[in-house]
Formats: sequence, C-alpha cells, structure tokens
Amino acid sequence: MLDNSYINVLIYAVAAIVFIVISSVAVASLARAIAKLGGATRRKQGNTFAGYLFASPWIVGFLIFVVVPMLFSLYWSFTNYRIASATPTRWVGLTNYIQLITKDNDFLSSIINTLFLTVLGLPLQMGVALFLAVLLNQKMHGERIFRMAFYLPVILGFNTAVLLCWRLMLNTGTGIINQIIRAVDNAVPPIGYFSRSVIFIQELFSAFFLGITNGSFTLLGKVWAAGLPAANRVPLWVQSPLWSKMSVVLLIIWGCGTMMLIFLAGLNNIPRELHEAAEVDGAGGWKRFWKISFPLLTPYIFYNLVVGLIAMLQIFEPIYVLYRDNQPLIPSTISMVYYLWQATFSHFEIGYGSAISWLILIIILVVTLIQFKMQDRWVFYDLY
Amino acid sequence: MKTTWPIIKRLVFYIVLTGATITMCFPLFWMISSSLKTLDETNSAGIIWIPNNPTLDAYINILHNSDFLRSYFNSIFYTTLALVGTLASIAVVAYAFSRIEWPGRNLVFFLMLSTMMIPPQALIVPQYVFFNKLGWVGTFNPLIIPGYFAGGAAMVFLLRQSMAQIPKELDESAFVDGANHIQVFWEIVLPLIKAPLATVSTFLFVGFWNSLLMPLMYLQTIKLYTLPLYVTTLYNINVTVQPWPTIMAAAVLTTVPLMVVFFFTQRFILESVVITGLK
Repeated sequence: MLDNSYINVLIYAVAAIVFIVISSVAVASLARAIAKLGGATRRKQGNTFAGYLFASPWIVGFLIFVVVPMLFSLYWSFTNYRIASATPTRWVGLTNYIQLITKDNDFLSSIINTLFLTVLGLPLQMGVALFLAVLLNQKMHGERIFRMAFYLPVILGFNTAVLLCWRLMLNTGTGIINQIIRAVDNAVPPIGYFSRSVIFIQELFSAFFLGITNGSFTLLGKVWAAGLPAANRVPLWVQSPLWSKMSVVLLIIWGCGTMMLIFLAGLNNIPRELHEAAEVDGAGGWKRFWKISFPLLTPYIFYNLVVGLIAMLQIFEPIYVLYRDNQPLIPSTISMVYYLWQATFSHFEIGYGSAISWLILIIILVVTLIQFKMQDRWVFYDLY
Repeated sequence: MKTTWPIIKRLVFYIVLTGATITMCFPLFWMISSSLKTLDETNSAGIIWIPNNPTLDAYINILHNSDFLRSYFNSIFYTTLALVGTLASIAVVAYAFSRIEWPGRNLVFFLMLSTMMIPPQALIVPQYVFFNKLGWVGTFNPLIIPGYFAGGAAMVFLLRQSMAQIPKELDESAFVDGANHIQVFWEIVLPLIKAPLATVSTFLFVGFWNSLLMPLMYLQTIKLYTLPLYVTTLYNINVTVQPWPTIMAAAVLTTVPLMVVFFFTQRFILESVVITGLK
C-alpha cells in the first residue's frame, strides 16, 4: 500500500525536522552572541540560548508561514497576479478592491449572508447555549453525561460525514425533520398554526435579506402577498434560497457546546452568597437570574459574541456539503471564507483573492474594535 | 437549597435535560439507523425510527469500496504524521514560554497570542502560491509540514498554562544535579502534564481528522483523498436516487474514531475548554 506519495511525505517530514533543528540552533546562537555583546552574565547567556532554541520552531514558522505570506499577499492584492496566466503580472493599484466593493455581487452576498447569520444565528446559538448552561448549573445527577452529550456536536459537527447526515435529515419531502414537523402539525392543529406563522416570518425575513443583496424587493412583496402558507407547508431547507441560510443556522445552534461550557464557567464563578442573599430578600429564581446572573455573565456573553462573529465569517464545511453542487443556491448562502475559496481557486486569481483576504482581515479587525469600544455600555467587570 | 426544591420542579428539569440530550444526539442516532436501512426505507414517506430488518449490506458495500478504504488509510496516515510533529513542537515551544527566562520572551509570547486573531483562512491564498512554487500541490506536505513549526497558538497557550503551574523548585534542583534543559523537559516536565497533553492531542486529532479546506486545495487526486473529502464524493446531486444507506455507513465509520477519542478524553477536554475558550 505504501507507494511514492507516502514515502515522499515521510522524507519531507524528516527534512523539515532537520531544518527546524538547524534553524533553531542558528537563531539561538545568534541570540546568545547578541546577549554576549550586551555584556550578559554567563548564566543569562545560557538562558538566552535555551529560550530561543526552544521557541525557534514557532518563531521560524511564524516568519515563513505567516509574516512572509501576508506581506506577499498585500503586494499581490494590488496586482492582477494569476497562476499560469499568459499575461505578465502588472500593478493595478486599487482596482481589485474597488471591483470587490462596488461591483462584485457575490462578495456583497457573502457580507449580507454573514449579517443574516449574525443577526439571527448568533443570538439563537447564544440563547440555546445559555439555556443549556443554566440547566446544567442546577447540579443534577448525571450532569457529566448531559454535558458530554451537549459538547459532542462540537467534536463531530464539522466533519463532512456528519454534515451529510444533516443533508439527509433536511430533505424537504422525506427528510426526518420535515416528517416530524408534519406529524406534529397534523396531530395538534394549534401547533400547525404556530409553525406556519414561524415559516411565514422566516420567509419574510430571508426575503428581506435577499432583497438587500439583489437590490430589488419583489420577492419580499410576493411572500407578503401570498400570506400565511397553506396548511401542509413545511420548511424547504436545502431547496429554496429562502431557507438555505436557515439550515446553516440550525447547524450553528447544534454546535453551541463551546459557548455553553464558557457560560457554565461564568455561572460557576458567580458567588453563591449573592444568590442566597437575594433569596432571603424574597427574589424568585427568574428574578435572580435577570438581576444577578445575567449582569455578571455579560463578560462571557461579550467573549462569545466576539469569537462567534469571527466564526460566522469562516463557515465553510456546511456550505460545501449542503450546497456545493447546487449553484443556484450558492449566492444565497455563501460565507466570506467560502467566497474567498471559490473566487480564488476557480481561476487561480491570486491578486483578487489576496484582496479578499485583506478585506476579511480588515472587517474582522474593525468589527472586533467596535465591539471592544461598545462593551463599556453593557459589560460589567466590577466583580472581577 | 436543593432539598427544599419541590420534586415536580426537579422532574421538569430532568425532562427538559433529557429532551435536549435526545435532540443533540439525534443526528448521530439517525446516521446509525439509516446505515442499517435499505435504500427504499431511507426514502420512505413514513417515519421509520429503527428498521424492521436491519441489514449490514451498506457496510459490506462500503467496505468493498477500495477508494473508501484507501481514503481511510490516508486519513490515519496523515493525521498520525501531522499529530506527532505538531504535538512535539508545541510542547517544546510551550516549555520555552513557561520554564525558561529569556530576553524578549514576553514580546514573542504576545506576538503569538495576537496571531490567534488572524483567521487561518486569510493565509490560504499566499500559502497556496508558496506551496505551489515548492511543487507541494498534489502531496500531503502542505497539510503536515506547517504544523511542525508549532502550528496552533491556542494549543501552545493551553500547554504553557499547564507547564507554568509546575513548581520551579523541581527544575532548579535538577539543574543543581547537572541536568540540562532537554533532560528537564523530557524527564520532569512532560510526565507532569499528561492530562493537558491528552487534551491537546485530542483537539489536534479532531482538527486534522475533520479538516476539509486544506485537503480540498492540495490533494488533487482521488488516490490521496482523505475521508472528509472522499465521503462528499459519494453524494452526487446529478443522481436522482442517492445511495443513502451506503453514505451513512461511510459516515458512521468516519466518525467512530472521533467518538472513541472523545469518550476517553472528554473529562480533560470539558475542563480545558473553559481555560482557553477554544474550539
């Protein structure tokens, strides 16, 4: 079974280790020489050598795989560089960026889609995570097993195999999710009305976002004019542009385990005395949650918000598995990273792709900065 | 406080918790159940929770598929090779950041933490050009070698935190006895951080095993495909009837290693997620 590809990579792995050792010794010797020139003691010289020797794998890797590529991509983002292109690479100034911001509809879609996920998916994900964390925090028997079950989707969630199972479950006609919805709707008519109104509101919401992308709101008008969907209507998960993002939202909610663990840590850090004092004063569980737990959880909510938002830009696997071959649906669902991959590697347009990478970086930076600026208004750090 | 709670209230909590657990684990149950069905049963208009006559045909099918077996081997091969080198280099670097005092340490450490803000995908374009120039497109190298340079700042951070908790006196006395840093690292520090090492290995394993984007970009031929890549080729939108039982059997076999690893290390993982807030 072992043929060239496997032996080849083994040889490269050994070569990489040799390279790392040699470069580490070189960096460490250089650091020691500098320390010696600076008049350091013998002991300090030894520590300098050892420190740089052990840290060098990261330092060297940082230079090779992060700093140099980023500088190159900054340069390429101002050129029309294309791999295997017949025309020579030229400096084109801001053309790539202007094209992206003003003319590229797919890039606009990816931003609007991310906005949709941020406005709808992220609050739902954090809500479910908080709900589960509060449940677990009741210190019931078997808490460990429940915690394991809630975290398991994080381990499995982004494997394409598991995503394919979601694809099966989300089939419009015979998928299990819609079958359950249908069965429940038929059994209990009031729930039927409820789920139809949820479908209606969701479709209005999605149509609105699609309207922003297309610059025309005729679809929104149509959905509105059609009114409350018919009695046997079910969500069209992986079939309609009105629902494609909703399927991703489901997956996001399912993978809320990390956020849940962070909320759980936050709940554990709240001093017990606060709750006991409030209970003596006659505050009920609900009131205590909103007046004590929630304000003290805001730093954790803030953390999850910052990390969650960055994660929204990066969603790749679910879109690849659910919509890869379904070209008409792609614009209604792509994330920024998916767009980066698609735009760059369909024609190996390195210049354009570099511009997208840098825009994504800038967006992440700006959004994170805004969040840090806004946090004074609602995050309480008093107790920590 | 707990004992004064009305029993009804506790019961409600248990029912809600159990309901949430069933919901969260349902995709897994459905995956296994579908893998034991016939093709007609997976497309049936009625709900079949558990097939009446479970059949292993789907598993026999997929295990006769040499492409699937090869991609399984590829996944194990690449994950092992990447995991070993990445783990070793991460441990070495974490040692430098926690057990040695050297000028510039805080600056370098700060730099490393700030790279956690850069989404790895922002680097895929220039890295692709770089690996293309090296002739590494169409090989496993780009998926494995970068990790050898202590890839994964969050993991270094996690190990550093654990190493920093070991009392300094331990290595000082070893140094007095004439040991060097390599001996202290290998004989004193590493044996004391087995649990964090297990955690980091699990995170790395899950990351490599599930990885899709990098293999998609670099493994150009089906002979090199890893599992996540190969499994998606089983689903083909141009075919009207998908071979769902076979796909689900492949999915079950793909997730088994993840489940096994998670089962054995979940105790460490659930604690450490809170320390670093990662994944």
